[in-house]
Amino acid sequence: MKTKRIMMTVLLSLLALSFVFAEGQAETKTDNGLTHIEMWYNATQTEVGPLPDDWVGYDILRDEFGIELEAYSLPSNTDDQEVKIRAAMAADELPDFFVASRAAFLDLVKAGMVADVTDCYALMPERTAIMFDQDAINFTTIDGRSYGFGTPSVIVKNEGLVIRKDWLDNLGLEIPTTIDELYDVMYAFTYNDPDGNGKNDTYGFGAFIETGSGHEIYPGRRFQPLLGAFASEGTWDMSADNFGLQVRQPEYYDFMVVLKKMMETGVIDPTWMAYKKDDFRAAWKQGKFGIFREQNSALHSENNYAPFDKNFPEGELIVIDPPVGPNGDSSVGPAVRGLRIWCVSADAAAEGKLEKICEMFEWMGAGEGYILCGWGQEGINFYYDEAGIPVSLDTDAQLGFGQAVGQTYIQLRSMAFNYASDLELVSRYPSYNAPTSGKPMSSLETLYDMQSRKWTMTNGQDSMPLPTTDLKTFYEQGIAEFLTGKRELTKDNWTKWVAELDKMGATAWEAEGKAYAEANSYLI
Amino acid sequence: MGKKKTTESVAVRLTAADRTFNVIINTIMGILLFIIALPLWSTITLSFRPADFIGTYIEGMFMAPWNWSFDAYKSLLGNNGFLLAFTNSLKILVYGVAVALLLTIPIAYGLSIKDLRGKKFLTIYIIIPYVFNVGIVPTYILIAKAGLTNNLASVFLPTCISTYNCLIMRSFFEGIPGELRESASIDGCSEFQTLVKIMLPLSKAIIMTIGLYYGVQFWNDYFRPMLYLTKDYLRPLPILLRNILLAAGMNEFVEANAFGNAPVEAIKAASVFMSAIPMVIAYPFIQKYFTKGTLAGSVKG
Repeated sequence: MKTKRIMMTVLLSLLALSFVFAEGQAETKTDNGLTHIEMWYNATQTEVGPLPDDWVGYDILRDEFGIELEAYSLPSNTDDQEVKIRAAMAADELPDFFVASRAAFLDLVKAGMVADVTDCYALMPERTAIMFDQDAINFTTIDGRSYGFGTPSVIVKNEGLVIRKDWLDNLGLEIPTTIDELYDVMYAFTYNDPDGNGKNDTYGFGAFIETGSGHEIYPGRRFQPLLGAFASEGTWDMSADNFGLQVRQPEYYDFMVVLKKMMETGVIDPTWMAYKKDDFRAAWKQGKFGIFREQNSALHSENNYAPFDKNFPEGELIVIDPPVGPNGDSSVGPAVRGLRIWCVSADAAAEGKLEKICEMFEWMGAGEGYILCGWGQEGINFYYDEAGIPVSLDTDAQLGFGQAVGQTYIQLRSMAFNYASDLELVSRYPSYNAPTSGKPMSSLETLYDMQSRKWTMTNGQDSMPLPTTDLKTFYEQGIAEFLTGKRELTKDNWTKWVAELDKMGATAWEAEGKAYAEANSYLI
Repeated sequence: MGKKKTTESVAVRLTAADRTFNVIINTIMGILLFIIALPLWSTITLSFRPADFIGTYIEGMFMAPWNWSFDAYKSLLGNNGFLLAFTNSLKILVYGVAVALLLTIPIAYGLSIKDLRGKKFLTIYIIIPYVFNVGIVPTYILIAKAGLTNNLASVFLPTCISTYNCLIMRSFFEGIPGELRESASIDGCSEFQTLVKIMLPLSKAIIMTIGLYYGVQFWNDYFRPMLYLTKDYLRPLPILLRNILLAAGMNEFVEANAFGNAPVEAIKAASVFMSAIPMVIAYPFIQKYFTKGTLAGSVKG
């Protein structure tokens, strides 16, 4: 009896297994005249769930373009995306149309696994006019042929140096314009009780370590406005006559002196080396520091501003010019276009899918497809306001494009948006009144303000060769040791350390960077 | 007159050195407990933090329970993506453990038979892949060529026979007296019947322990689902969890929070806590077998 029970258990387990195996679906080419396209894309928000099966775009593509689209989102993390693409590449299992990092893209081109798309731009006139200028085409051009579509992926210049205007007013201070004035304000914010609560609980400057795509190397993005005062912003100096690693420029040492002084006098929140992005943002919302570099939406979008508004209804965060250094230099930081590379697999092109992929891509970049990918369906996910701007509907079923379910319908937004048009920006950053103080707010105005400040425009800085892991570690540890006092910051010590850096491979890295920048016409 | 059974408590006299030793040990254990419990408590309290909370991180950890907010959990449980991922994880867990045990038990039993022909060779044969990992690309190619990509089985099949677990289980079987197997054989049992009727009923501890090992491995696996499951609706909880933890979009690039009104940090903490719940529930039930199972084969002779 017991044996029977065990045998039944085994059989039932095997039966259950069959359901598992049944979930796998063999990829089939359609035999109904449709062109099957498998696409791996960057989801707008990976955490909200996949693009629903009833997305109306699938029907339009099938009925009007003869395309049967299978769209799957890539992992949210770029490292994981890289692993997945490279594994698929090694197994010769690439999808027809997919996003690849610049490093993977270059290897794919070398391996002959992506199609030459040079002639495709003419098949996509509207998208090309909006997105593919010569710089974008150069970004994916190897030996005179283009092997991918470089599409915008971010809003350019959307960060700025921010200061607590209410603290300035409380202390009777002016907006600082030079690096010395900025330091004085930091000092006052730290020691003169700017919030008037009678406690010594504030700092002048706040930051955390964020190094971008390698183009804002340690100490990272949040310090770029300070580095800009010494013409040392970004990892690289991309000028043709002075190309090289910023850390080897003499002015970089002057920046280090200022930062070291900030550390020693305690005007920078000492937790900056341990902060993560969320901690940093929680800290300024709690009024821990009064000067920092921040992104427009993280600063002034309704959800993000509400906690600060609640804590400090009288508080005011304004964008200021980056401080001017001793030689008259200033910059918020290096601005890069952050192009995303879309590739067509060589197999897909060999199967005659290239034109259909271009048709689909063009449809998503303009007109009906653009609206559908960007905001969903009118009347279901959004409505047009008097100014013709798409506004999220507020429905019980949460179908508005700003609501939980509705957000799944705009997962392909990154395929459509150019991240610069007024339609996109106005819709994305609506004006509102702050929930506690009632102040009129607009993160769009903040964006325009940030974009109007002085930036250092560079092409390709975010795709430059990366240092080896050992070199990167040595670099970061060295800077940290100078800042924490483990190594005394003197001119001699600094020169010695730079020489050690060269021995570790900085010279070779710089030479590799120069060759790469010249080959890709990135030098200014 | 039968022997009178007495219960006698024996007082052990502790020396000063013993007491000092106990104090030191207890202090160290207390510190260790604190180090382990603090981040856990921090995550739990963070998950209950209301959107309008004002205060420091430490204050948040000691906020009164009646001020806790369940918004993060409501948002997660109301999110289709979360429920789908949870279901996929459960499927992988149940099917994975079933298949892994079905395959591991016979191998371990076979290797435990003393007079098995070629036993040494077979043991070395299964140890080789344990020592030399084949790497990502060959495994990916194998899975792809076998048609297992976009199939939940691709998460557990490549690792459903763990050499380590096989060897532990083999040691356990070896510890069961060989006379039992001989008796069964004399009574006419085949090897399969001996395994099912004699060995398995005596091996609950090791089966539960190894099952737990496999369960934890399959439940927490992020890498294989990321690599092999391209279709969004097949992705399990670790993938969603990572998406949530990395979701820059939740406070930077979009107009709205994907999970409603709960704070981003609370959503992240709640998703971490929710994903740990099945294992937290399972442990107490399996714990009684655990010590016996993990000690299998540790004492020879």
